Amino acid sequence: MSRAAAPTFEERFLETFSNAVGVSGGEESVRAAVVDAVKDHVDSLEVDAMGSLVARIAPTGKRRRPHVMLCAHMDEIGVMITGIESDGRLRFRKVGGIDSRILVGQVFRIGSNGLRGVSGTLPPHLITRADREKVAAVEDLYLDIGAASREEAQGRVAIGDYATFDTTYESWGDTRKGKAFDDRVGCAALASLVRQRPPVPVTAVWSVQEEVGLRGAAAAARRVAPDLAVVLEGTASGEAPGMAPEESAPLMGGGPALTVQDRSLMADARLVDLIERTARQRKIPTQWKRPGIGGTDAGRIALSGAGVPSAVISIPCRYIHAPAAYLDIRDARRMVALVWHLLDSLTKEWP
Amino acid sequence: MKSLAGRVDSLLPSLLSAFGPPGRESGVRDVLRRALRGLGKVTEDATGNLHLHRPGKGPRLLLAAPMDAAGLIVTRVDSTGLARVAVLGNRNPAELVGATFRFEDGALALLGCDRPKGTKSGAEIEADQLFLETGLGPKEAGRRLRVGSIGAIEDRPIRLGDLWCAANLDSRAGCAAVVAALRATPSPRYDLHVIFSAQSDLSARGAVTGAFGVDPEQAVVVDVAHVDPKETGGAAVGKGPCLGLKESGFLAHPEALALVKRAAAAAHVPTQWLIRESEGSDARAVRAARTGVPTALIAIPARRSGGPVSFVHARDIGQTATLVARLLTTPPKSKGGRR
Amino acid sequence: MLPGTPGHEQAAAREIERAFSLYADRVERDRVGNLRAWIDGAGDPPRPRALLAAHMDRIGFLVKSVEPGGYLRLTELGGFDPRTLLGKEVLIHSKTPMAAVFGTRPPHLQKPGESDRVLPVEELYLDTGRPEREVRRRAPVGTPVTLRQPPVPLLGGRLAAPAMDDRAGIVVLLRTLETLSRDRPAWDVVAVATVEEEFAAICFGARTATESIDPQLGIAIDVSHGDMPGAREGDTVPLGGGPSLCVGGNIHPKVVEGLRASSRALGMTVQIEGCPMGSSTDAMDIQIAREGVPTAVIGIPCRYMHTGIETVEPRDVDACAHLLAHYLAALPVEWRATEVLK
Repeated sequence: MSRAAAPTFEERFLETFSNAVGVSGGEESVRAAVVDAVKDHVDSLEVDAMGSLVARIAPTGKRRRPHVMLCAHMDEIGVMITGIESDGRLRFRKVGGIDSRILVGQVFRIGSNGLRGVSGTLPPHLITRADREKVAAVEDLYLDIGAASREEAQGRVAIGDYATFDTTYESWGDTRKGKAFDDRVGCAALASLVRQRPPVPVTAVWSVQEEVGLRGAAAAARRVAPDLAVVLEGTASGEAPGMAPEESAPLMGGGPALTVQDRSLMADARLVDLIERTARQRKIPTQWKRPGIGGTDAGRIALSGAGVPSAVISIPCRYIHAPAAYLDIRDARRMVALVWHLLDSLTKEWP
Repeated sequence: MKSLAGRVDSLLPSLLSAFGPPGRESGVRDVLRRALRGLGKVTEDATGNLHLHRPGKGPRLLLAAPMDAAGLIVTRVDSTGLARVAVLGNRNPAELVGATFRFEDGALALLGCDRPKGTKSGAEIEADQLFLETGLGPKEAGRRLRVGSIGAIEDRPIRLGDLWCAANLDSRAGCAAVVAALRATPSPRYDLHVIFSAQSDLSARGAVTGAFGVDPEQAVVVDVAHVDPKETGGAAVGKGPCLGLKESGFLAHPEALALVKRAAAAAHVPTQWLIRESEGSDARAVRAARTGVPTALIAIPARRSGGPVSFVHARDIGQTATLVARLLTTPPKSKGGRR
Repeated sequence: MLPGTPGHEQAAAREIERAFSLYADRVERDRVGNLRAWIDGAGDPPRPRALLAAHMDRIGFLVKSVEPGGYLRLTELGGFDPRTLLGKEVLIHSKTPMAAVFGTRPPHLQKPGESDRVLPVEELYLDTGRPEREVRRRAPVGTPVTLRQPPVPLLGGRLAAPAMDDRAGIVVLLRTLETLSRDRPAWDVVAVATVEEEFAAICFGARTATESIDPQLGIAIDVSHGDMPGAREGDTVPLGGGPSLCVGGNIHPKVVEGLRASSRALGMTVQIEGCPMGSSTDAMDIQIAREGVPTAVIGIPCRYMHTGIETVEPRDVDACAHLLAHYLAALPVEWRATEVLK
């Protein structure tokens, strides 16, 4: 049986996916970009009842087990337009977990046309010192698209339109900057992986609505009914000025981070052990993600049906859930290599 | 039916000392496997639940008892070998200070707490204030306790009069009651599935997948519930098993409740009502499985000490075992449940 | 105005079942208590199924303890606005119901500042005006309690009462069943009066009903916040403005587009409501059950939600039923939300 060469991480996918707009509940543009990237490489491709993309890739050779689900989420945090004032200003609410402080003075791209709007606020000159120290509640913020009236605004935006940060992908050295690396880097890694036929049957899922309660993954997992699952994520790295080394883990550039436990999941101990040994054998640096932080689709997949052994591999990114995040492109390449070699390890060691 | 207290008393110590924090229940699984020998086919599922099936005529009944007990997970280890931890499970960190923990590789450690100057003691403790003292040098400590290491309370149960005093009574007392009941019931009138569930203290995760797999027609959950003696009308230790009316995510199904009350009356076991505002058990997960399951909750009352240890009355455990044993031989009145 | 708190919906279920039976082909109760009324579709089998959900339960309390003097302490089932409970009359649902009142201290006897503080439910108590022995006998721990407030007609045809959330939705289901029994849709339609929408983090009735019925479409009918002074732009919809349609992650775009098309065909005004973090209705749990279900929400504008004076306009209730029946009647039997691309 000939073994296909390991696929490489396709950086053009990361750029396209990162620039695409897909706030939780409005992932269509990202889904279209993923479909373009993978449709010629997969054996079947479906959109499920919630909008998740499900692709099946038959293995080289005859192995039927284990059936592996690989999952990354397409959605990003953002805001939704919920009201239009009579003077044309737009009211909005958060979609997903966002620090309110980053919403002020920010440029947004609104709706499918990418109309620009700015989150205005009274300049420092015009407010009291006390007010300058307060964090504005999102209910008090508004977007200014330059409209002078409700009618004018209604011609360009609608209640329910999504808006996201107006960030453009850039690169220098090994650093990549962009929005929504959580989890477009996972989406790009997955799209890269399916370009080669794996040694075990794989179902790749690009899920929806992870950021608003891990909602798409449960339904998808029930449909796929895999033997085990690995979620590919973008996670928060820990660095900040003045932090001791052990407080900063995982580090950008330190390799993919492995989860033992987060708020949604006890990662399957055997699977995590196999991932770690595979990384060591292949000399891929990995780190441990700090226990107890955050939750991922794996938490829901693990609880699907009668239970699915699940694990999470994450790329450490700085400034996730903010307009401009950083990652180290070598970590993305390492993630693809690690998952590819894991699939190979599974043929020898699972169950 | 004579009390099963004797059976419970012999099972409890080994259950209490078994290693079984949420997600790492292998130690208590081993103890339970030995205790269940000869009772039927025992299997383990993907979440770590232990399943026992005793095929029989009658509706498919799920009897579920959690087997995990809260523990710790190491979140960071610094260059001096000092480890920071988070609580794994449903316990107030302040209560665990001073307890000894055993980790997966056998290392022992004591949980300490920094108290910043100028704050009143006894207030809410942040995870950042907790530390583990292993007595090992920095290199050895860093090697044996790494990020993600999971530990369980090293429990030394004692008996004070009629009271069991131990750290892991929640939930091992429930396991003891169920095992004792199973050993005393050769012929249940149900197609009986027993699950000793994993990760109960992590939002009842084991119960979610276990109950889905069994797809029962009826269910009874056996757990331990801390009660506050100062609350008027609240349940009390020593007054018999509690029947859950309401807790987080769970309302008792009238038919399941009626079945348990019938069994309690027939077995002359006194019961009390349990209403909990913010705590929950496997019951919320079991009843929501598949197309819904009429479910009752039987909880052994326990009292907190303010520290690692809880108190449970030995008679309450015995009476719970008696009640469960009687339940297994009490036929359901009607097919399925209606509300 | 029927009782029927979460977990104790039987009392309401009987009446609702009787009403549903007037129009449905068959009505059944499942084992957790959901009431399901079926309309068999006109299309060729196998027919897809549409699940319509309105919740039967209304927020209420359970007796938690009886104190010396016969005073009752309560535990909540669902989230009341505690600011509106003091001094209100209630009905305790013992075998023969007992009236009672939330006890209050008159201003003359209050300490300074006492009336500035909202009392949480744990500090409230009920007084039945009866001796303690009788109270203990008739209202043991676990007895359900609801607000006692008969419906109040207001000007403009508006109506205020407890439990418009979601009995108004039940009425929408009833009217929809009536229409569909005459103009059969191609799909099978099952109207479900669900249990326990108000109680826990998950909508228990909706979740288990969906698992059992396996629908290809789910629509929840519940109340939406009606216009009230002090609310922000976009947080409410006007009473009399017609049905409110949610948009957002919990809503499948094709379904809400279909509802909007129906509203245009009917010449009906509808309001669009942005729901960025979901609809907080049965649709939340219908959508993620099984392998996923395309869902939408039809909202009935309602002021003062979770009080004894929930206020709706009956015209809006009728319009919601009209819209729903039209959409279902027009739904092609081959429509599905899933797409096969390859």
